[in-house]
Amino acid sequence: MGLLTILKKMKQKEREMRLLMLGLDNAGKTTILKKFNGEDVSTISPTLGFNIKTLEHKGFKLNIWDVGGQKSLRSYWRNYFESTDGLVWVVDSADRLRLEDCRQELSALLLEERLAGATLLVFANKQDLPGALSKEAIREALALDDIKSHHWCIIGCSAVTGENLLAGVDWLLDDIAARIFTAD
Amino acid sequence: MLGYIWQYVYTSFLRYWVKWFIRQATGKCELQRICSGYKPGATRATKAEYSLQSSKNQVLRQALKTNKDNLEQRVDQIMQEKNIKPQKDPLFKESLTVCLLQITGYSSLYVSVEDLRKEVFSSDNPEHEAMLLKLWDLLMPTVKLESRITKQWGDIGFQGDDPKTDFRGMGMLGLINLVFFSENYTEEARQVLSHANHPKLGYSYAIVGINLTEMAYSLLKSGALKPHFYNTVLGTPELQHFHQLYCYLAYEFDKFWLSEEPESIMQFNQYREKFHNNIKAHLQDPDVSLILTVRTKA
Repeated sequence: MGLLTILKKMKQKEREMRLLMLGLDNAGKTTILKKFNGEDVSTISPTLGFNIKTLEHKGFKLNIWDVGGQKSLRSYWRNYFESTDGLVWVVDSADRLRLEDCRQELSALLLEERLAGATLLVFANKQDLPGALSKEAIREALALDDIKSHHWCIIGCSAVTGENLLAGVDWLLDDIAARIFTAD
Repeated sequence: MLGYIWQYVYTSFLRYWVKWFIRQATGKCELQRICSGYKPGATRATKAEYSLQSSKNQVLRQALKTNKDNLEQRVDQIMQEKNIKPQKDPLFKESLTVCLLQITGYSSLYVSVEDLRKEVFSSDNPEHEAMLLKLWDLLMPTVKLESRITKQWGDIGFQGDDPKTDFRGMGMLGLINLVFFSENYTEEARQVLSHANHPKLGYSYAIVGINLTEMAYSLLKSGALKPHFYNTVLGTPELQHFHQLYCYLAYEFDKFWLSEEPESIMQFNQYREKFHNNIKAHLQDPDVSLILTVRTKA
């Protein structure tokens, strides 16, 4: 426990968090990141590799990693697992055809040892689109209720309008902070 | 700080008197000196643009916002206002006209490009669909597309089974650029595609192309491309000139990527930034011309 305590103390001092944002391609990861950071979201193109943004929120320094979701990039995801405090899984709620694909990728991630301690936030994105499934339907399709290994929460949102992004990130920060900054 | 004060004093007070003095001495106004003193290109057009912009005269400033149809009339007005006699300076009218075509054309080019960018790719639009299929045929002449929704799209570097979601923020502009390159520089485009499919140094051809469209678009929007267009188009720049610039970027980026030998595609943004900075550095050169030159076939 000695090393862990020291690590916790170090983190406490810095109040720094590392968030990893993943999901299938076209889920809206980069749009969420940019919208949350107050940037223009109208000219985004597909992500090759990753984007990283560091921003301050509620007294925390957040390092947010947004990694491309296309199939050929998914094998690289594991390079970004290390010391992740929060995992943000982004779902295109209007993409019904790939929900099964989406469920499989998520459940594989949750088996990863290096993500074992991370809090999971699922963003049911694109709620502004007419064909979007509700967050309850996404919760069921991804079998979230079966998850026992991680703290999790699902939030319906729209990266384009910005709706509920703050609510999601706030929940995530509260959960992480309760785990790593107060539990001693 | 001193620099700022000097600049303020110069632009708001001194500049006027310096211009007045030179005008008395040479008998020519600033615009005339610019038009006769520089050869057609970026230096001349940029100086003319600055001169018109900072003029205290409404007629001169308004000329920057004119459209092509009223342009001749505007030039006449300027000559009247500045008391420039065509007999004394016979070349002035044409020179100023070219400058104004270039300057106002840049703004109208941005409007046209923005319209294309805002046009969302739609599977219900037969023209959009035809263009997408044309892209496949141009790049993969020997392979038949098995169906409209297929994994094969990955072979030309789209992300999934249906390319439509990849156009995103760049809309039809992204697709038109890809098709333009494949159609007008077919051999080069196929060569770039074969590099992109390299097992180790490969990258996603189509979505890198869409990212480069974004680069071209943001350079245009910021005004950074002015010197390039002022040097290469002695008149109104058209959409095709923008597509040409895209071809240059697509071809040059490929060369750059291969020479840098990145560890993997995950480093894309880092190299994209480096390439972007190289291009911006080129654009600082007043003689810049970002033209794709290919070896002509003997």
